[in-house]
Amino acid sequence: MLKFIAKRLWHTVFVLIGVTMLTFLLLKLTSGSPARLLLSDTATEAQVYAKEVEMGLHDPLYVQYFHYIRDVLRGDLGTSYFFKVPNSRLISQSLPATGYLTMVAMGIALIVSIPLGIIAGMKRGSVTDLVAMFFAMLGQSISSVVLGLLFMLIFAVNLKWLPSMGYGGLAFVIMPATSLAMQMAALITRMLRSGMVDVLQEDYIAATYAKGISRREIVTKYALRNAILPVITIIGLQVGTFLGGAIVTEQIFAWPGIGSLTVQAIGNRDFSLVQSILLIISALFVGINLLVDIIYTLVDPRMSFN
Amino acid sequence: MSRHELWRRIKKSKFFVIGAILVILIILLSVFAKQMAPFDPLKQNLRARLKEPTGQWSNFIFGGDAMGRDILSRLLIGSQVSLQISFTVVILTAVIGTVLGIVAGYFGSWVDTIIMRFSDIQVSIPPMVLAIAVMAALGNSITNLIMVLVFTRWVQYARVVRGSVMMIRNTDFIRASTVLGSGKLRIMFTQILPNVLTSLIIVMSQEFGRTIMTESALSFLGLGVPPPAPSWGVMIAEGREYLSTKPFVVLVPAIALMIAVLAFNFLGDGVRDVLDPKNKN
Repeated sequence: MLKFIAKRLWHTVFVLIGVTMLTFLLLKLTSGSPARLLLSDTATEAQVYAKEVEMGLHDPLYVQYFHYIRDVLRGDLGTSYFFKVPNSRLISQSLPATGYLTMVAMGIALIVSIPLGIIAGMKRGSVTDLVAMFFAMLGQSISSVVLGLLFMLIFAVNLKWLPSMGYGGLAFVIMPATSLAMQMAALITRMLRSGMVDVLQEDYIAATYAKGISRREIVTKYALRNAILPVITIIGLQVGTFLGGAIVTEQIFAWPGIGSLTVQAIGNRDFSLVQSILLIISALFVGINLLVDIIYTLVDPRMSFN
Repeated sequence: MSRHELWRRIKKSKFFVIGAILVILIILLSVFAKQMAPFDPLKQNLRARLKEPTGQWSNFIFGGDAMGRDILSRLLIGSQVSLQISFTVVILTAVIGTVLGIVAGYFGSWVDTIIMRFSDIQVSIPPMVLAIAVMAALGNSITNLIMVLVFTRWVQYARVVRGSVMMIRNTDFIRASTVLGSGKLRIMFTQILPNVLTSLIIVMSQEFGRTIMTESALSFLGLGVPPPAPSWGVMIAEGREYLSTKPFVVLVPAIALMIAVLAFNFLGDGVRDVLDPKNKN
């Protein structure tokens, strides 16, 4: 198992190097000189050129990349062109809001999908199963843009039960979190259902029936443990979709997280900030999946053999 | 699979039948959008500004938007834009992903390592975030949008195809082909490609709905189809301001988007039921 974890760690390092190359190249793709954005509007061509040389923009690409990596490793993500403060500070200020939103969304997704998926898988063809499948299909087909705006229209505009936007406690987080959670809830419901259906057909489940073990115990002790394994991986992979979806959802509900910061940065053409956000989000995503894979080896003993 | 068996499975799959009917309808609507649209989707008419839906086809059936443009006409032409983008993206992605997947799976060794390592890096960046960042850097145009969507989705195909290729690479009929003197290219595209086609079609059918959804989300953020072109995402974004007073401006494109994605997802699930009945996922 340690060998697996070591291999996985090496893989993570490799992927992170690749990600830094991509984010580095992204900034090179943007048009316009970053030096000009940092200087005042009245700066002359010569001043811009001098600033560019000072910033190392005329060095060969590999030298610039090397400097970029060196700065990132030191925790220096550069300075925002627009806000004129370190990018790392802006990002760390907005991360908690996004973390809060995604955690609540994840909680909602799991609370809804796990019981729904299990019951649907146990009682194939029942009314619950049909409801679950309909929910899953609808959930996968409704984008968080549409769902967010529908929620806002129903619960904030018409019923006036909830505040339509802003940051705060349960009343504020419930709409953005639910609209973000829908896709994941739908996916997990489907996966868990099909997992349960498959596992319940296995011979060892028939054997437990033959032994006279109660149905309840069979489901919780034997079937669920196997059916839930792929769900763990999916949760890790879906974090990426979550972070992407959060950008849209935060934008709709004026949630002051990393998504709103991204949209703001793009509006200001603050590409150094966009680059840093992309790097941090990717690093977070890679880290979470590393964690998920390690948890997986701990939960599933079969993993350690291959 | 015989033609008879295929037909039997198609008739059995409710998803396939409902999805196919809806998708054909949507395609017809978008193909004949220009003929059906009662107004020019870009023509502004101040008298019809935020006009309530009338229920008459040629008199703002779904109402007018903030610039007095006919929502129905924008919806129809917008479906054309969305479908063109998603068809182009799905086909381009499938071609690029398949070629890379076949090459990786067939050659193995370092070629495989390079392609797969690149795909590892690709999937470690959340696709939507990457798309947003790249669109912001390149500027929004339909060509850039298509490129970005292809760039963020090819891995899906490459992995599925590579897996299938590796399974059949060492089978006897491929060996026989090599012995008979077939070149590598010939084997890859005349022997291996037909064998991975099923998995390929399944992935493709699942991707349409997702692509339409991603495109609309990017357009909603102002990073997709550039206005004033009538894309559904743009229409939703423009109508947002009037959500509390004139909700139909948002609701019409939002519901259209939902129905379109639902139709393509139904068809996608139907295709999987028909081609891969073992997989109940």
